[in-house]
Formats: sequence, structure tokens, C-alpha cells
Amino acid sequence: MSSGRVAEARAVLPVRWGAGAAAVLARWARGAGREWWWYLTGVVILVLYVTPFAWMILGSLRREVEIFEYTYPLTWRTFVPVQWTLKNFLDVLGLSPEGRAFGLNFGRALAVTAFVSAAVVLSSLVVNTMGAYFFARLDFPRKEALLLVVIATMLIPFEAVMVPLYIVVRALGVQDTVWALILPWYASPFVIFALVQFFKEIPRELDEAAIIDGASFFGVLRHVIVPNAVPGLVTTALLEFQFIWNLFYWPLIAVGRKELQTIQVAIAQQTTQTQIYWGRIFAGSVLASVPIILLFLLMQRYYVRGVVLSGVKG
Amino acid sequence: MSVATPALPVPRRWWTARRRGYLLAFLFIAPALVNFLVFRYLPILAALRSSLWQYSLLGGYGEFIGLAAYRRMLEDPIFWTSLRVTALYVLLKVPAQVALSLLFAVLLQRETRFAAVVRSAVFAPVVASIVVVSVIWALMYHVQLGLLNSILTSLGLPRIAFLSNPRLALVAIVVMMVWKELGFSMIILMAGLKGIPEMFYEAARIDGASPWQQFRAITLPLLRRVLMFVLVTQTIFSFQVFVPVYTMTRGGPLDATKVIVYYIYQNGFLFQDMGYAAAISMVTLAILLVVSGVQMRLLRSEVEY
Repeated sequence: MSSGRVAEARAVLPVRWGAGAAAVLARWARGAGREWWWYLTGVVILVLYVTPFAWMILGSLRREVEIFEYTYPLTWRTFVPVQWTLKNFLDVLGLSPEGRAFGLNFGRALAVTAFVSAAVVLSSLVVNTMGAYFFARLDFPRKEALLLVVIATMLIPFEAVMVPLYIVVRALGVQDTVWALILPWYASPFVIFALVQFFKEIPRELDEAAIIDGASFFGVLRHVIVPNAVPGLVTTALLEFQFIWNLFYWPLIAVGRKELQTIQVAIAQQTTQTQIYWGRIFAGSVLASVPIILLFLLMQRYYVRGVVLSGVKG
Repeated sequence: MSVATPALPVPRRWWTARRRGYLLAFLFIAPALVNFLVFRYLPILAALRSSLWQYSLLGGYGEFIGLAAYRRMLEDPIFWTSLRVTALYVLLKVPAQVALSLLFAVLLQRETRFAAVVRSAVFAPVVASIVVVSVIWALMYHVQLGLLNSILTSLGLPRIAFLSNPRLALVAIVVMMVWKELGFSMIILMAGLKGIPEMFYEAARIDGASPWQQFRAITLPLLRRVLMFVLVTQTIFSFQVFVPVYTMTRGGPLDATKVIVYYIYQNGFLFQDMGYAAAISMVTLAILLVVSGVQMRLLRSEVEY
């Protein structure tokens, strides 16, 4: 509707960002009578969503006494540190004497979480890709019945069966080891289902040509399917990484040893002590959430597609 | 299939090229199937067994107790409380979340940079972990030092003990969870909105329909399938709420936030009563499978446009 005016603004201000800002401003000014409520609503939503994160990030960068000192009255000082410091981060990472005295080691927790997430993503990429290839392409008697088994798996409520899952993992004797954090998640019905949708969009003629050239099932998967399904694989890998990184209930019950504590469990543990250190909670939360939010912002396109696919089709 | 006579070389006839293909194909799905059988289906059998036999983590399985654990559940007032609290949580959270995410989806659908920024902000808490979000909100709700009470005081209002008031604690968790999970349903509804052909709106505008009339006559009916989907999946999802209760209230005050999954956790890991925890898990599973069954039926009966 306003593309002509946007182009006009762009001609005046050749810099892309400037043009964007000018276009927004021009549109805002023009529609102020009719549209001001829309921008107002947008700003209110933005404030509601940014404030808790801003409070967390800025709070992690100030001394704890400062957080309490400036709670009342509500001013900009409630948010912005007077004296910027990395003390809270040094504490939770166990790099300061106080942090060491408390036995804090969020660095190790981050490493464990990253290792487990990477391991699950890797195994998921292999196992689920093979499974999805089976459903999308290979010939097998009663394949539909097998697909039903996979779909039924998606219906099993996740948190409700954590205690029974613990009973099984204990029977296997891997509780309290890193295997307990990886094995239950190395395959996922949701990922298989999503990948089947991606694989079905690849033309079958490509497979057939490869088979005529003498490729095996595995060769087709490696040289035809995988290279043509990179966006789908990236999407599912991202969702899987976020899922495992953020998992809490399972790592809480599956491992008791401190060396295997994931970052989420380490943060939650900070809230159960008799004295709660706000600065450390803020710093730990920043370490656990900011990387994953940045990853999301960078890969937003893939991300949204994954959510839509798992939502609408799953 | 007819019975093979001993004179025929059975293996060679049976082992055809096609069967070899089947075996190779099966190898592709086998690792995933093993995972599902061991880590998704086996726990259900294990839960059934642990609920019917005496069971403890250290002692293993003991004598058969039949339905004793289930009978105990019927007489356990806290079990009923937890069911009630969970239902209340779902009834408060799901409608609010779906209504608000529909509103957000319609509002933020535009192709402008500002709308894209707001969309990203709304989606950020979906990506952040529930532990981080609930821990930060617990501090925001803090009765003396929380940000929310600082805001209330600056508006001249009295401070509120959000999490230690039995009448407010569950609502406080609902508000936080709606804030966190709204972005997820918003994205799905937006995809649904994109699927509605623009010509319907054009035709309606030519007929002089107001935006509200367009929403009622076009958007709502054509979005019904997606809305239904979001409603039911969110119900199943919300029924299993655990983490915010663990980090914010521990089921208190006065069991006001003791949801069913937290009660399972409490029995299994705090009271060391795995058998009873398994029995409650089975009942929860049954409830949720019924909801899923209803969902499948509802979704299938909907006509696509």
C-alpha cells in the first residue's frame, strides 16, 4: 500500500537503515490518526517482553547490594547499575574465592549441557534421518503400521512418564551417568515426522537416477536426500538442541552427581538454598539463556518453520 | 502361506532379493524403534508393574498388591487436590493463552520491521528455558524486593505477596506461563492466518464489512481447525506443568499449586514411594490419552477449506 512512498524515502536516504527508519517514521506520522493505537499496542507488548530480560541482564552486571538498594523508588536506577561489575559471573563460574567457597561451577554445568545437547543432536541427525528416509522412500511390508507406532509415540505425555522412565533407566543401570542424559533422547518421533515431510518434497526421480547409477539405499540417502534437505535438517537440529539444552525435570532426577549437573539444574538449585543470592541467579540465568536466544535470533527463519511444522502437522 | 515340504531348499526360496531389501530397509528404522520401545513404551509397562507389585528403588519388586495403590489414590485427599489444581491451572491458562495469542497474531501479522521486532521479542521467552523464566519471575514476584512490587508501590498501590498467598500463587504462575508460551501458539496461528486466501477479505471489504465483521465471518471460521489444534495440544501440554511449581512454590502455599506432575515427583523422589508415584503416572497417562483421543476425533471431523 505504501511501497511507492517507501521507494521515495529510499531515494532521499540511500542508506538502507536510514531508509527503513525514515519509512517507518513517515508511515507513523501519516497514519498517526488511524494507526497510533497499533504502534502503542506494539510498544506496550515490547516493554512487557523486554523488561524481564533487561532486568535480568542488567541485574547480573551489578553488585547484589545495589539490586536491593535501588528497588524503591522505581527509577531508571532500578535497572541500570551504578557500578558495573562481573563479580556475579566470576562467582557462579567458580573463578572467585566466594564462588569456590560455595562450590559453584557453572562453567562445568555449561560444558556438560553443551556436550549432552551436541551428542543428542548428532545422534538425532543420524538416527532420525535414517528413520525418516525409511518412511519417505523405502519399501517395507506394513510400513503404515510402523508409522502408526511412531505417531502413537508422540501421544505419550512427556512429563507424566518421567518417573516410569527413571525406573527403566535404573533397570538398565545407567542412572547417574552421562548415558542417562543422552540415551532416552537419541531418537525423536517428532523429528522423524517432520523430516518425512521435508524428504517427501524431494523429487523421486533424483533417487531413481542414483539407483540406476548403482547407488545403494545408503548412497541415495547420503548423496541425494541429505544434500537436498539441509534446511529441514538444520531446523530439526536447532529445535532438538534447544529442547535438550532447556530440559530440567529429567536431568534433575536422572543424575545426582554434581559433576553431571546441567546448567538448568544448577540454576534451580540456587533458589532452594536458605539464602538466595540474586546476583548469582541473574548471572547463571544470563549464561543459560542469552546464548540460546542469540542462536534463535540468528537462525529465526529456520526456527519459525520448525515450530510451524511441529505445530500444524505434528 | 503354505507349509514348505522338506524336500525343497527352504532358505534359498525364502531368502529372496526382495526380502533382502526389506531387511536392509528395516535396518534404517531399527535404531529409532529400539529407542521408542525401550524409552517410551517400556516405561508404561514398568509403571503398570510398579503400581501392581510392591516396589521400591532399593528393594526392587516385592509381593503382588493388586489395585491397592489405585484404591489408596481414591482415598488420598491430596491426590484429588492435585487433580483440581491441575484442572484449574489448565482452565485459567489455556483460554487466556489462546485468546491472547490470536490477538497478537492478528496484530503482529504485518510485514513491517517494527512488527518483526515485536514478534521476535514475544518469541524470545519460548526459546529461553522454563527454569530461567520462572526463576526470574519468582524474583520479580518477590514480596519485598521484586520488580512488580516496586512498580505497584510507585503507582501508590499496596505490595502484594504474589507467591505466598494461596489465592494468588496459582494465578501468578498462570500469568507467567501465558507470558512465556504465548509466542509459540502465536507463530502457529500466524501460519494459519497466512493460509486464508486474501481474496476473501477483498470481497468482504467490497461488501463494506468492518474489520470486526471480517474477523468474525472470515478469520475465525477459517482458523477453526488451527485454533482447535492449538487448544487441544496446549491443554495436554499444560496439564503436565511441573517446572514453575518446582522453582517458584514447591506446591505451596497450602497445596494451592500442587499440580499432578509435582505430586508424582514428590511421591517418587521426596517420599521414596515409587510404586504410588507410578500409579499416579498411570492415571495421568490415561487421562491424557483420552484427551488425545478426543483431539484426534475433533481434528479429523473438521472439514478443510
